[in-house]
Amino acid sequence: MSQKPEPRGATRQSLSSSSSTTKTRLSTSFHFASYLRDHQKTLLESFIRLLHDPLASMMTMMVIAIALSLPGGLYVGLKNVHSITNQWDKQSIISLYLFANVEDTKALSLSHQLSSRSDIVNVMYVSKEEGMRYFEKSNGYEEILSALPENPLPIVLQVIPSYEVTIETLPNLESLRDELAGVQEVEYAELDAQWLHRLASLLSFGERFVYALSLLLICAVLLIVGNTIRMAVESRRDEVLVMKLVGATDGFIRRPFLYMGFWFGILGGILACTTILLVSWWVSTPAERIIALYQSDFTLQSFNADEVVLCLTMSAFVGVIGAWIAVNRHISDIELQ
Amino acid sequence: MEIEFQRVGKKYETGQEALSQVSFHLQQGEMAFLTGHSGAGKSTLLKLIMMIERQSHGEIIIDGEDLRALHKKYIPYHRRKVGVVFQNHQLLFDRSVFHNVALPLQVSGADPQHIGKRVRAALDKVGLLGKEKYNPMALSGGEQQRIGIARAVVNKPQLLLADEPTGNLDPRLSTEIMNLFQEFNRVGVTVLVASHDLSLIARMHHRVLTLNQGRIVNDGGFS
Ligand SMILES: Nc1ncnc2c1ncn2[C@@H]1O[C@H](COP(=O)(O)OP(=O)(O)OP(=O)(O)O)[C@@H](O)[C@H]1O
Ligand SMILES: [Mg+2]
Repeated sequence: MSQKPEPRGATRQSLSSSSSTTKTRLSTSFHFASYLRDHQKTLLESFIRLLHDPLASMMTMMVIAIALSLPGGLYVGLKNVHSITNQWDKQSIISLYLFANVEDTKALSLSHQLSSRSDIVNVMYVSKEEGMRYFEKSNGYEEILSALPENPLPIVLQVIPSYEVTIETLPNLESLRDELAGVQEVEYAELDAQWLHRLASLLSFGERFVYALSLLLICAVLLIVGNTIRMAVESRRDEVLVMKLVGATDGFIRRPFLYMGFWFGILGGILACTTILLVSWWVSTPAERIIALYQSDFTLQSFNADEVVLCLTMSAFVGVIGAWIAVNRHISDIELQ
Repeated sequence: MEIEFQRVGKKYETGQEALSQVSFHLQQGEMAFLTGHSGAGKSTLLKLIMMIERQSHGEIIIDGEDLRALHKKYIPYHRRKVGVVFQNHQLLFDRSVFHNVALPLQVSGADPQHIGKRVRAALDKVGLLGKEKYNPMALSGGEQQRIGIARAVVNKPQLLLADEPTGNLDPRLSTEIMNLFQEFNRVGVTVLVASHDLSLIARMHHRVLTLNQGRIVNDGGFS
């Protein structure tokens, strides 16, 4: 909450009536203490006020929790897909098919040259003959190959990049492939990570989907909190009028409602985090069993501490903003007249 | 606290001219009644002093401050200096007498330790010390009115305004209430009371400002 301490009547008086700086300082610090105390009190009182109408408060919090746990849950899902793919076979190979007229010596020196690069771990040289032997081993090709007058296969350099293959390093791999494709002797460069490419697109689609959904649902939370606060302001109309009459500042009148928004936000956030943690714990055993069929030691990830803190901060913030909008709109409607 | 009106006019958005050319001067520590027919502009005049409404013409100077020059954000601080008893902004029935009276102190950020003392002192002055824990609903009309007065004076304002404070009270209670105002006036508080009750006003022997159609037609002793 970034409300500045408002000037108090007595502070202003002591500023104008006394030239003694110590007196001014004393009275300012006194008022600052009372300001803090006011805040503490209002924080507590607005919580107690929620308990006055537990059913309505609970409903509001549940709606907020549902609105927040949807994108939160999807986020956790994406996070797990991400971590699964990162545990997959981390090696990838860029196959360089050289032009048919490239000679062995030239190809060998290229191979040495490449393997000395820092972004390449190793280069395997596959001569035309080795390629042929590989094909001969695979059934069905023998006859076709023996019918050919000469070996039609190119020399192939199999480059093992030093990057581990993950979605994050995919752009690096692709730019390495493009770079190698530009080498004079190379006719065609192939990166065997198409699947990863597709997955990456899918995941980035998923991410954007989660962002858009989060944005929509945060708007929904703003509306829910705003509406609840609007009703709270309306139900305390007489109180607001009397407070204005006896000299309450707008800040003072706003404060309990902002705290109310804060409580709705943070309690809704706690509920959402609890839901997400519970659900992921509940599905973890079957999910891990399924994944274990394909790969070893997978543990389902849920919200970690940082994410819980972030979620709570955000939900509290959204609660306060929703309350702020509603209070500003409706308090000015309530005028003494 | 002094009040000075100089040719003050108030025209509502509806075009209704509630006050025009109102001039008077209320000295520090003076007590006066404001009277006149229904619709004469009594409530409007008090609302101008509280800055609930703003004047259309003229100058209002209160405690040396020209209200026209006072920025909107200082209105709350202005109101804290004035105690008011308005009929339509009465007590809150969702809290005890104590908390009703404490409201002006809480609003101005007073120390909680002082709040208790000040509230009890105010309740004592209106003779309702024993009722602090009651809900105002459980009190009689006269008692409720006195709680309203206690709330108006709890901040020790130097100016006390009241709009029809004896509105629906019987003559005996009305006199009691008026005496209460007189007591506050005796200790130096400037008091301005709007009232219809001419016979009661006559008995109080104070200055009377009479409004007619928004103009002051008589300013002086009781008639
Ligand atoms: N908010 C308003 N908007 C428009 N006109 C108003 C408003 N308040 C008062 N008036 C008009 O201004 C005039 C003075 O009203 P005011 O309430 O000051 O009279 P009053 O002397 O207090 O009357 P009463 O004795 O009935 O309380 C009336 O004609 C009234 O209709
Ligand atoms: Mg009136």
